[in-house]
Amino acid sequence: MRPSLIFVAATTLLAACSAGDRAPKSTQDAGGTLVLALPEPQDLFPPLVNEAAGRLVTDQVFDRLAEIKPELATIGDKGFTPRLAKSWKWSADSLSIAFSIDPQARWHDGKPVLASDVRYTFRIITDSAVGSPVAPLVTNIDSVSVRDSLTAVVWFKKHTPAQFYDVAYQLVIIPEHVYGKIPPKELHTSPVTRMPVGSGRFRFVKWEPGVRLELVSDTANYRGRALLDRVILIATPEPNVRAVKVLSGDADFMESFPVNQLSQLDTSRVAGPVPYPNFGYVYMTMNRYDPKSPTSPHPIFNDIRVRRALAMSVDRSSMLQNVFGHNGRIAHGPFPMTVGYADSTLKLPSYDTVGAKSLLDSAGWHPAADGIRVKNGQRLKFTVVVPTASLPRGRYAVLLQGAFRHVGAQMEIQNLDDAPFYARAEKSTFDAIMDGYTTDPAPSGMKQRWGSEAIGFIPGKGVSGANSMRYSNPRVDAALDSATTTFDFARSKKYASRASQTIIDDVPAVFLYDMFVTHALSRRVTAPPLRTDAWWADLADWKIPADKRIDRDRIPLAQATP
Amino acid sequence: MRRQLAARLGQSLIVVVLVATISFFVIRLAPGDPFSFAGENIPFSVRDHWRHVFGFDKPLLEQFGRYVLAVFRGDFGYSFSRKGDVSSVIADALPRTILLVGLAVFLSFAIGIAAGVLQATRRGSWFDRVSTGVLVFFYSLPDFWAALMILFLFAHRWRLFPTAGIVDPVSYDYWPPWRQLVDRVAHLVLPLFAFTLVTVAAVARFQRAAMLEILPSDYVRTARAKGVPEQGVVWRHALRTALTPMVTLLGLMLPAYLGGAVFIEKVFDWPGLGSLAADAIQKRDYFLVTATVIVGSIVVVIGNLMADLLQMALDPRVRE
Repeated sequence: MRPSLIFVAATTLLAACSAGDRAPKSTQDAGGTLVLALPEPQDLFPPLVNEAAGRLVTDQVFDRLAEIKPELATIGDKGFTPRLAKSWKWSADSLSIAFSIDPQARWHDGKPVLASDVRYTFRIITDSAVGSPVAPLVTNIDSVSVRDSLTAVVWFKKHTPAQFYDVAYQLVIIPEHVYGKIPPKELHTSPVTRMPVGSGRFRFVKWEPGVRLELVSDTANYRGRALLDRVILIATPEPNVRAVKVLSGDADFMESFPVNQLSQLDTSRVAGPVPYPNFGYVYMTMNRYDPKSPTSPHPIFNDIRVRRALAMSVDRSSMLQNVFGHNGRIAHGPFPMTVGYADSTLKLPSYDTVGAKSLLDSAGWHPAADGIRVKNGQRLKFTVVVPTASLPRGRYAVLLQGAFRHVGAQMEIQNLDDAPFYARAEKSTFDAIMDGYTTDPAPSGMKQRWGSEAIGFIPGKGVSGANSMRYSNPRVDAALDSATTTFDFARSKKYASRASQTIIDDVPAVFLYDMFVTHALSRRVTAPPLRTDAWWADLADWKIPADKRIDRDRIPLAQATP
Repeated sequence: MRRQLAARLGQSLIVVVLVATISFFVIRLAPGDPFSFAGENIPFSVRDHWRHVFGFDKPLLEQFGRYVLAVFRGDFGYSFSRKGDVSSVIADALPRTILLVGLAVFLSFAIGIAAGVLQATRRGSWFDRVSTGVLVFFYSLPDFWAALMILFLFAHRWRLFPTAGIVDPVSYDYWPPWRQLVDRVAHLVLPLFAFTLVTVAAVARFQRAAMLEILPSDYVRTARAKGVPEQGVVWRHALRTALTPMVTLLGLMLPAYLGGAVFIEKVFDWPGLGSLAADAIQKRDYFLVTATVIVGSIVVVIGNLMADLLQMALDPRVRE
């Protein structure tokens, strides 16, 4: 008798400990409706989602096998916490991981989450008929097999530091019984993919495109219900209108509050600022190839002395102050300072207009009567393309124009809407471009942008990777290969720094600022610290205290249940 | 009369076909496509795959041929930005725009005609000068800016009306019918006000000019000589004749109203045809752009046709 009592007590204690943060949180004061004013999501089917609003929704409705912790450590599995998988076991050769699915996990239609769903997810992501943007990120995963109904085994091609991250971060598990009936090539347009059925702490209710999207707390969720009753996403494409909605209390949250209206947010009694550094950084790329003849060198930027001189003519600190006031973050290289491998000690071209002028002189560019430099009859004149959607990039372009003019270079500014901007970026048809990139927390993100393998437009072959500027340096490739294959974080960081310094020395771009935005959040809402890669990661734990609730918070959850 | 009507219908059909064809090619020749908008982090190979799946890598003429055949089958294509059939997306949006534009036309013409008549009958008075100045002031405001200011003042500063949308996005479904009606009306007020404000001046100016032309006419003088009260002379005798050019104006202004709907709907998040078209153009949603242009041109053509018919009914000289 005694041994069995001890066994029961021990297993209970063990279960309680192992549950950890998976245990349902206290939901006594749960309730309230959070209204988000955001751009419209493009997709609600995880393998096709590629933008923030879509990810926000799918991250609430669906789960991953394991969730990355706020530190965003990507080496091994220490930086992850269980989700759909209650545990996992590595094989002896580290080339496979067996994930045990939580037997309590249920899809929102009541069916159990199975290992076959993991296999189906991988199959769909890698199916060429689907064209998932996630596919290039999981190339190290060889296959997924099903050992039993609750054990999925993920097989890898090689043992790498980020192989667990590849599975846990990139695979959002979807139900085979819901989507499996649809031929893969029809998933893009199927109405079923607009009504997601997931396993997350929020369940999907409805989406009226152009109007609103509604989620409600899944009260029977295996991880405990969300602390909010409902989340309503109001499709608001115009940033100024989003700002009015938040300031008037019609919405509780908007991301990227307009930089030129921040003072209103500071003084508002309705909403307050939430500074939010993220994984993005902005730079002005100088195309080393002639945009009119993509195989020929650019008449101006092929010369590193010109690129360096232009970089030296930029007072980046003053520009940062001018555009962002005290809220800006200066760029330290081809990475944002929010990633673990960031290094603020790298040496960027220092601000030195005298040196810049000398360098241009030595490169054969001499000032004409109007101050613009000329070489062999050609003026030092080029055009930069700027996305109209980004106010900071537009302002930076104007400041850069002045700085370049000071050293004898004439820069024309061409403002473009998103579609033509991305079209130009994709085909490298620009002299210079105000570019931005949101990277991954791992050095692999740097490889995707700056590695030779990721070169985007190849004349005669079309387009492939995300390295649209066609930057290539074997030393950078080697350093990034080392950074992404070592299991020692310190060494990985050292290799990443070496790659970054080499890129900086090649001056393919002028690194300007880290994307740092200010979100606006209603003062009646309490939110945990926002995760750097996804501010919505813990949305299910946002709260509206009972004493701060208004009419819209008091609609009973029962009514909202689909 | 019948022949005239048939000719007018034939012309209208040609106009719609031409407009649709032009819009098909123009949007495809513009830089970018539905998948170049997809975001900075999408590998280009994935975008190319999607282009292939939807046939955007085919020659333009082949795409046009396929589109024409599909339209004849009643298939207007797939909207990439709204994730649905273009016909159902348009079916959702069109009634909202007709409601907004219809009410704006009614209000701007009702107020504009009344203002124009009053200005004409009080020509040179302080009322004429002040009201003209005020109306021209509002007329000269850029639509987008005026709408934003109205939104800022009435929704944000004074909080008299909801900020945007057609209904309360949170509570509408849970309110009783009377409260839903109040909510719908409340959401309509600001866009309608903005729309009317920027269009009423044109109507008033036209009406004023038409009345000034009519008031010295012999038949008006005769009516006065017969002892018809001044109100009757103005509102019954003179206005009736002066309304004929307003019918022409209505036909002419319909495209402008639809153009204005783009700005007003965009600012007030009114999910109608205007904001749909603007969004579709921005996202290069090819099929949706062409369909909104087709529907817009049909609305304009029908409006003009009705204006012509009305003019024929009002003015026997036109019939002949």
